Formats: sequence, structure tokens, C-alpha cells
Amino acid sequence: MSSTATTRPNGLALFILPSALLFALFFFLPIGLMAVMSVLTGNPVVMPKVAFTTRHYARMIGDPFYFEVIWTTIRIGLVTTLVALLIGYPLAHWMARIKSRSGHALLLMAVLAPMLTGIVVRTFAWMTLLSDKGVINETLISLGLISQPLKLMYTETGIVVGLVHIYVPFMVLTLTGVIGRIDERLEQAAENLGASPLRAFIEVTLPLSLPGILAGSLLVFALAISAYVTPILLGGFQIMTLPILIYQQISANFNVGFAAALGIILLMISLLLVIAYNRALGLVSGQRELQ
Amino acid sequence: MQTTASHSPSLAAPQQATRTAAAARPYGRYLYLAVNIAILAFLLAPIAIVIVFALNPTPFIQFPPVGVSLRWFEKFFASRDFMHALWFSLEVAVLTTVSATILGASAALALARGNLPGTRLIVATMLSPLMLPAILTGLALFQTYVLLDVGRPTWGLVAGHTLVTLPYVVRTTLAVLHNFDTRLEEAAQNLGASPLRTFFEVTLPLIKPGVLAGAIFAFIVSFDQFPVSLFLVSPGNETLPVTLFNYLKFDLDGTIGAASVVSIVLAFVVVIGLDRTVGLRSYVKL
Repeated sequence: MSSTATTRPNGLALFILPSALLFALFFFLPIGLMAVMSVLTGNPVVMPKVAFTTRHYARMIGDPFYFEVIWTTIRIGLVTTLVALLIGYPLAHWMARIKSRSGHALLLMAVLAPMLTGIVVRTFAWMTLLSDKGVINETLISLGLISQPLKLMYTETGIVVGLVHIYVPFMVLTLTGVIGRIDERLEQAAENLGASPLRAFIEVTLPLSLPGILAGSLLVFALAISAYVTPILLGGFQIMTLPILIYQQISANFNVGFAAALGIILLMISLLLVIAYNRALGLVSGQRELQ
Repeated sequence: MQTTASHSPSLAAPQQATRTAAAARPYGRYLYLAVNIAILAFLLAPIAIVIVFALNPTPFIQFPPVGVSLRWFEKFFASRDFMHALWFSLEVAVLTTVSATILGASAALALARGNLPGTRLIVATMLSPLMLPAILTGLALFQTYVLLDVGRPTWGLVAGHTLVTLPYVVRTTLAVLHNFDTRLEEAAQNLGASPLRTFFEVTLPLIKPGVLAGAIFAFIVSFDQFPVSLFLVSPGNETLPVTLFNYLKFDLDGTIGAASVVSIVLAFVVVIGLDRTVGLRSYVKL
């Protein structure tokens, strides 16, 4: 790789052009336009006299409601990430360490199945589970454990449960790759030297899998803060997050400028996460090269 | 390398240690398995529940189910809105798969073989739609189409879907190209094959599994795509996830369950096909 990097691009390099064109026209241009729209007073196509303005951003800073929305979005993202990590790690560890090939294939199918089921479908599933007359409440009532249905839906807890279910496969797949690369003999050595399996895990495997934890967490967080379907359906239009607010500005108010400004805020948060994610993945591959 | 050196002197000690560890291990092992089975149940139960509600005949959520009926499947397949959405989704998914596969595979080829400068940055850029909120891609494209006054055409939707599915094709194709013995191509050229012939007779057959895997991912992701579609579909011409979402806002009957089962079955057929033809194992690394 390093020897070819010094040579000049060859004919095959031209094959990048169609994708480059796609990205230029349908990715960079639209995001650039979004940035421009966020500082304009109106739509330059319909309104001939548009001027530069910072009022969309000023509106966000001037009203604590928008801070509340951003904080709710980040809070839901953080809790989702933490829970996804806690339940994703054991499964990823099992997948990485399981010996039988068919066992691994079955686990992989189990992890991929929810991933392939579609966000709307899975949110529907959680609505049937969490609603007042849903599976969980009906079961608990018929068992006599509760007399009144628990309020599971239309709460942040409900949103988090749904989001964790949707994004935990991403965590598992990221972690499995990293844990799989950790030499199992290191754990065995620790156990041979007298450490309990738990201690060997905490002192050997866990620290070595930190880059994977970081990469998986950043990925899940980035996905969770941009979720729309699950927060709106499981939150019953009562809990406001940034993506819900953005779509509302377009669909209900047609305030394109303010939607663009909110979009830029979400983009900034996400870009920071993407950079951090690439750094974390760089750590993972750096580790692989060292081995 | 060091393990062989440290292995022999401590040969007696580990046997003792493993014996004491083995006594404590069963409980830890059972706990480990129990936790993991609970997690698997959490992952899979909602899918099972969807199937239960698709077959339960009552027009509202009722648990335990009171019977088995296919009325929601009949309603789904008889509904003009759902059928139109299903076919439109398939159309968009096919068009997206074709364009994402051609663009993504050629981009991967250029990145792996074209000696391009700044390859790492280009790869990071091409994979970025995976991590950037898809709702932003939808919003930005929506604004662009409004500004350019082009309406909400199908090609605009397909372009948006191509953008968010391209990374999958790039990634799976790059994975194959990196594990690829370039000496095979050199050998073909040394034996007198032109670069073009080498490409069609050596490179293309060898990267086919990666391209195919990427294509299947692209199809599934496009078929289930929601946030980009939300902004780019026109009323009366909606994709299945958007139609399901709009239905779900007001109705919670078994039709959604039936539609879900249809899409689950479709996804499983595709995945099993993928596993049979190319093997999933090497392509799902994130």
C-alpha cells in the first residue's frame, strides 16, 4: 500500500467520478444549501428580496424550550447508548468466543433479524408490548402483580426501550469484531496465573476492548439522536426531540430557514461524533497492526 | 512468540489453578448463558409478538390472543394504498440497488486500485452517510428540490436512497478487494491479457461476492428506509414504511402486523439467499 501511494493515479481512478458526482450534487450541494438557508430570511426562489439574518440561531438561543429539546435528545441518546452497551456486550462476547460455527451463524441470524425488520415494524411491536392494554401490562394484571396498568408508553423510558432494541445490533456487531481480535490466550494466561474468569475479563479483555466500546457507543449515540419514528410513536407526540422538531418545522410551519438552522445544529453534533468514531476505529486497527 | 517461552516453566501451577477455577466456573457459566439468553429473548420477542398480532382477529391490541385468522392479511393485500406502496417501495429499492451497486462497486475499485491520493479521506466521506443522520440527508435534499423547483420526483427519492445505501456496497466491495491477491491480476497481464480483459476475466469474478453482498444490503436498507423517504415522497406516492407510519398514527389493528410479516418474510428470504450464495460471516463487520 505505502509503495503504491507514491505512484500517480491510473485509469481505474476515473471510476470514482460517478460517485463523486452523486456526492457533489446530492450530498455536499444540499448540505451547503441548508447552511445558506439557515442564515437567510426566506426562500430566495419565491421571495426576491432575501437578506442575511442570524434570527434562526438567535431564536434558538433566546428560548429555553430549544435547549430543553436538545437536552432531551442528548439525554435519550446517552441512556440508550449506555443500556445498549450493557446488554450488547455480553452477547458480543458470546458471539466472539463461541466455538461452534453453526452456533455463531444462529447468533448472527438472531442479531440481524431485528436489524432487517424495519424501524416502523419494530416500533409497532413495542407499541403492542408497552401500551396500557399491551402484552406487558395485560400479563402483569392477569398474574395479579399490578392492578393498574403501568405507564410504559408515552414516556422517555418507552422511547429508550424501543431505541435500544433497534440499535443494539449495531453495538453487538461493532463489539464482536473487536472482541474477536483479542487473543483468547491472554485471558487463559491470566486464569492460569490464578485469576478468576471474572477478574481475567475485567483486567484483560475489558481494557483491550475499550476502542470497540467507544466506536460502538458513538455509533449508537449518533443513530439514537437522529431517530424520528420511535420517539414520535412511542412518545405519543408528547416528547419533543430535535428530529421531531425539525420535521415539524417543515410539515406544520413550513419554516424552512429555522428547520435548516436546527439541521445545522444536529449536523454539528453528528460531525463531532463521526470524527470521534473514526478516531476510535483508528485505535482498533492500530491495535490490530501491533499484534 | 513469548507464550512458548513462558509456557514450560509454569506447567505444574496452571493445572492446580484450573482445578480450583473449574469448581467456581459452572455457576458463572450458567449466569453468562442465562444473561445472554435473556438478551436474545429481548431481541427476538418483539418480532414474535408482531406475528401473533398479525394472526389475532380482534381489531385492537388484545392479549392473550383470542384466535387465529388471516383477515388482516386479506385486508393488507386488498388495500389499494398498501399494495401501491408495496410496489412503489419495490420499484425504488430495485432502482436504488442498481445505481448504488454500479456506483459503489466502481468507486471501491477506483479506491483500491486507482492510486488515488487521500484514499482514507475519500473512504471516510463515502461512508459518512451511514453515520450522519439520515433525516438531515432527507431535509437537505428536500430543501434543494424546493429551491430548484423540481417537485418531488421518483429520481429524487432514488438519488437520496442511493446516497444512504452506497456506503454498504463500497464497504463490502473494498473488503473483498483488500483480501484479494493482486498477483492474480499481474499474472493475467504477464500472460498477455489486456487490462480490460484482466478486469472482466479475473477481477470481476473475484469481487463478485462482495458486490453481491453490498447489493443485497442496499436492497434491504432501501426497502426499509424511512427518514429520507419521509421528506421526499409525494402524497399518494408513498413508500411502504411511510404508509405504515401514517397508518400507525391512527390505527393499531392487525393490518400493520400483516404488513410487517410480509416485510419480515421478504427480508428473511433475502438474507437466507445471501447466506446461501455468498456467506454472511465475512461481510457484516462494521
